[in-house]
Amino acid sequence: MRQPEFPVRGSDTAHAFGWGLLVASALIAAISVGSRGLKDFDPALVSYAGASVFAAFGIGYRYSMWLRRPPTRMYWYRGWQLFMKPQHLLGNIMHLASIFWNNIFLQRFIEKRSRMRWTAHWFLAWGCLLAAAVTFPLSFGWVRFETARDNQEIYSAFMFGIPVGSFRLGTVVAELTFNILDIAAVMVLIGVFFAFWRRGRDRDARSVQQFSNDLMPLILLFAISITGLFLTASTHLMHGLHYVFLSQLHAITVIFTLLYLPFGKFFHIFQRPAQLGVDFYKKAGAEGEQAFCARCGEAYGSRMQMEDLKAVQAEIGIRYQMADGTHYQDVCPPCRRKNLALAQDGLWKAHGMDVRGMGKEL
Amino acid sequence: MAKLPTDIPELVKQFGPTLHTVPPGGWVHTDKDEKLVKTHCCFCGQQCGIQLRVRENKVVGFEPWEDFPFNRGKLCPKGVKRYMQDEHPDRLKSPLERVEGEGFKPIGWDAAMDRVVSEIRRIQQKYGNDAFALLTGASLTNEKAYLMGKFARVALKTANIDYNGRLCMVSAGAASKKVFGIDRSANPWSDITKAQVILVAGANIAECAPITTDYLWQAREKGAKLIILDPRMTPIARNADLFIPVRSGGDIGVFNGMLHIMIERGWLDREFIAQHTTGFEAVMETVKKYTPEYSAKIAGVPPEMIVKAAELWGPAPTSFLLHARGIEHHSKGVENCIAAINLVVASGRIGREGCGYAMITGQGNGQGAREQGQKCDQLPGSRDISNPEHRKYIAGVWGVPEESIPQKGLSAIPLVEAIHDGRIKGLISICFNPAVSLPDGNYVREALGKLEFYVNIDFFLSETARYADIVLAGSLMEEDEGTTTNTEGRVIRHRQAVTPPEGARQDWAIINEIASRLGYADKFHSAPREIFEELRIASKGGVSDYSGMTWDAIERDYGMFWPCPEPGHPGTPRLYEGGKFGHPDGKAHFLPIEWRPSAEMPDEEYPIILTTGRVVSHFLSGTQTRRIGSLMEQYPQPRCEIHPRLAEKFGIAEGDFVKVESRRGEVVVRAQVVKTIRPDTVFVPYHWPLDRSANNLTIRAIDPVSNIPEFKICAVRVSKTDAPTDAIAQLEMEAGGIR
Amino acid sequence: MSEAAFFIDHSRCIGCQSCLQACAECDTHRGVSMIHLETIQRSDSVQTAPQVCMHCEDPICARVCPADAIKKTPDGVVQSSLKPRCIGCSNCVVSCPFGVPKYRAEIDQMMKCDMCYDRSSVGKKPMCATVCPSGALTFTTMEDIQRTRSGIPINTWKFGNEVVKTRVYVMVPREVEQVNVDLVQISSTPTALQDDPYDVALMLEDAQ
Repeated sequence: MRQPEFPVRGSDTAHAFGWGLLVASALIAAISVGSRGLKDFDPALVSYAGASVFAAFGIGYRYSMWLRRPPTRMYWYRGWQLFMKPQHLLGNIMHLASIFWNNIFLQRFIEKRSRMRWTAHWFLAWGCLLAAAVTFPLSFGWVRFETARDNQEIYSAFMFGIPVGSFRLGTVVAELTFNILDIAAVMVLIGVFFAFWRRGRDRDARSVQQFSNDLMPLILLFAISITGLFLTASTHLMHGLHYVFLSQLHAITVIFTLLYLPFGKFFHIFQRPAQLGVDFYKKAGAEGEQAFCARCGEAYGSRMQMEDLKAVQAEIGIRYQMADGTHYQDVCPPCRRKNLALAQDGLWKAHGMDVRGMGKEL
Repeated sequence: MAKLPTDIPELVKQFGPTLHTVPPGGWVHTDKDEKLVKTHCCFCGQQCGIQLRVRENKVVGFEPWEDFPFNRGKLCPKGVKRYMQDEHPDRLKSPLERVEGEGFKPIGWDAAMDRVVSEIRRIQQKYGNDAFALLTGASLTNEKAYLMGKFARVALKTANIDYNGRLCMVSAGAASKKVFGIDRSANPWSDITKAQVILVAGANIAECAPITTDYLWQAREKGAKLIILDPRMTPIARNADLFIPVRSGGDIGVFNGMLHIMIERGWLDREFIAQHTTGFEAVMETVKKYTPEYSAKIAGVPPEMIVKAAELWGPAPTSFLLHARGIEHHSKGVENCIAAINLVVASGRIGREGCGYAMITGQGNGQGAREQGQKCDQLPGSRDISNPEHRKYIAGVWGVPEESIPQKGLSAIPLVEAIHDGRIKGLISICFNPAVSLPDGNYVREALGKLEFYVNIDFFLSETARYADIVLAGSLMEEDEGTTTNTEGRVIRHRQAVTPPEGARQDWAIINEIASRLGYADKFHSAPREIFEELRIASKGGVSDYSGMTWDAIERDYGMFWPCPEPGHPGTPRLYEGGKFGHPDGKAHFLPIEWRPSAEMPDEEYPIILTTGRVVSHFLSGTQTRRIGSLMEQYPQPRCEIHPRLAEKFGIAEGDFVKVESRRGEVVVRAQVVKTIRPDTVFVPYHWPLDRSANNLTIRAIDPVSNIPEFKICAVRVSKTDAPTDAIAQLEMEAGGIR
Repeated sequence: MSEAAFFIDHSRCIGCQSCLQACAECDTHRGVSMIHLETIQRSDSVQTAPQVCMHCEDPICARVCPADAIKKTPDGVVQSSLKPRCIGCSNCVVSCPFGVPKYRAEIDQMMKCDMCYDRSSVGKKPMCATVCPSGALTFTTMEDIQRTRSGIPINTWKFGNEVVKTRVYVMVPREVEQVNVDLVQISSTPTALQDDPYDVALMLEDAQ
């Protein structure tokens, strides 16, 4: 899809570049410190870490560009402002927990869009997050596993070099730990299956979906999951058959996805929490002063939002000031629609219905 | 029989109406495993083309059919949502038997048929053949309409068969027949778009024939002037060139007044009048006194409006007249129509491109269903049942002795009166809901309660079916096939989309079965395609001659216009070309019309005029549309439209509950205070039953010629009242409740 | 033959709601109607106002969207908000000069008229413009509209100082070049006309 024209200033790019570098540097520093000066860093995973650093740069860049847009900046600023209000902070944190549970963990709003979509998305999201929670700390050298010196049967886990627990081989915990990525892969595959099934059947999805934006991410996730599962199969069932080739293939799919992360559909993972901020904004708006329509006098939204919008509109060059000193933003949407029909009908009336048929051959 | 087998809330609980809101399978977004069936809407006389989306023998949606030339994909909201009558929870899927004190219980077809046939025999043996009557409908296909007429005359041998087209097209038909000699719209709709002035009399086109709106606009974009006569400013009247807010029943004032001015100013086609018409002298004589002032008094409008109308209509090179129930639903309905048609004939603008006249048919097969012989006075082919030649021909087609065909029977209102009087004891009805649709509703329901035996054939348990002893589960339009004839006289093909649900039967199969059990299996065994073949022959040589048509040709040509007298004939879209009219003398017959008062004029006791009509989201008695959720949402309960001046007089504000009373009954509805209605008139739409039925108020007066009831004017009084709290008011709005 | 376009003639509208009923049958939002149909003021007139998305060349809804969730397809159709991005803030709802986007609280997402993209993207007409009995909503070629209408189609609007160009056209009398939208006060039509042009009692005054 074409991006709508939006003024991107030169300084924005420089600014965003700076932020990208900052986020990438921060990640490098965190890897370095977290792996105790690379002591715990697994060189075999360096390509993953490298791709992650690039992704961090991209996300920093993109996030900064996004926040530079006046409407986004307005919400960002207002969201934090409302959230941090000292007298509301505690309540806000509680509320945040609740909307986080509903919107981010359970993703209830997606369920209402379509149950099939929700099923697919829930499996995809939590499969991916589960996998990420394991692989990133591993490839950054933040987490490592060692067999105990005195007992080959016992594994110890270290985070940032600090022992955080141990377990015996063959226990449930061990099985879970070693197979957690397989579980994640299966979840993702279930999600991918539902998503493709829906996208193949649904006339709505079929008409608006695009390969690069909607199908590509699913293909990437499928590729990661299936190659990951092949690795497990190779190790446990086929005595390491083609293991090297498979691990390279798997690495390629993961690295490609990491590089794609800031630029494609996956970026919504980072954008989505903004929904939480909007929730606070809407709550404050509903509790605060209302805006009343200049035409019908009915309340149609929060005064704060209308005033914020006027500021945003001024910044991006939307000029709704009317000649008589009123502002079009002060008219409610139903009145705008009525107004349009009255204006159009009025044109015909003003010119007389006689103009119908003028200059037409009968 | 007594009245209802149990109380109304209990019947509603068992059989609805309830709302259907979600298509089978849910609001899915898929077209997998789907077929599209090209057919037509089941509702009004426009019979718009539509494609039904069918999946697993279920109608799941619709798709516009843009190739069909009449509506080119256009549909009104009823057409869009018509598919929601399929897979309906209220659908009858078995014959029902009345159980006193309980309601109705399902019985088998065999047992139901045994009972029906033995009761027919019993009543006819005891009281005579004519004591068993048949009431049918104008939404039946041509094939079914034909079958009903034959069934009454051959199997029941009763004179008393009539149909609910009696509430619809009979005034227009009679007037057209009297003046032109043929009962059909004279022109195809495409001629509307070529007219330079269009007169619409008593037709709320935007709501009752919405597709015609575009035809009006096509003409207007080319400069046509639009004149509207209506007591209410309807949506098409809002920006018409001339809107005449005529008092209901005063239309003749406008028509005669216009003709008066046309004569005065010489806006006549003298040559045409001389060559192709008779009787103009008498008309001239009559309209002499209809000066603008005199006419204006009758019409209840300023005289300048009538002058302006004459100035628009009189000198125009081409013109088109459209009228509908607004001028037809009167005890002088035929006269109203003739007065309007006189304007057409005097101008000589008929029978050519862009020049003509049409009546807007109300019911689905309003045109066709009155041609196939289910009217009390007609035989197939629009033949006259009292004409010996006609009887002989039909007797030959049916293979019965001419004398076995009964003579003319009672039309709908007298027929119901005969039931009330006890002269008619048994009734079969199909496709008719008189408990809601006939005037003087309390009287009608009383009559239904007096029948000794009543069989109702329907797909839902209508308000009328509640009085039945046996209800036979019939079929929807899309569960059967056949033809209908639309408002233009275009015969079109309804295709079957799905089969009836198990336990329900196609209407023709039900009738064939009853006839067979009465001993006429040899004459009643055909399915619709064969019935059409018989109908073709029966119509041959008649006015509405279908004999050259085949279903294949109808499909191929998107419909065929009658008369089509021999195979290969292209049909006749435009009648009266070359000034050749349908009377034996080939001429159009002017008839002088004098205005006379309506049966009940407002007086001190009942000072307000009530007029009734339809709203766009409902159809007729509402049996179908009051069961479709989104149509009910659009217009959930009747409201009484009242002008603020009148409302103020009675202290009525928008949304107040008002009681509207006439000498015959009352309704309680909410007021809708609008400036768009005459301040001496109130309007209540009639689609709702029981205490919400506008027909509780209307008068049982009928036109002497057409026998159409006077739905469009009676005297009422209006007062503010409290919210009703009785059991009926508590029902859902689709069942007659109020909110 | 040029490409088909969407034309609105508000003055033709008869308020029958076919568009609303048919809109909910469109597969990109089946069961939910996206088109608007306002009754302007029933006590005074039967005038109604249909409104589809005008598909602006530079959509204001997209410009004020904080989530960057509103996109135009290459063929110029402004789509419903992208599901993964929309955060349900309603900026678009209250900024659109035509009052088009709808915020659906139950799914916390903005949806809007997308010209029945499942249909128009494969050469079919949008539902509303196919069924509309009055021709207030029409989807046809420019040639056809010029042949069949006395007015002209224009697509330039002015709201205050904001000039908006749209992909959807409106039918106006010949000499009009752009629609200047001023505030037309409720309960009356433009001030140039008589008070209460639709009051039947006033029309009849002479007769009494």
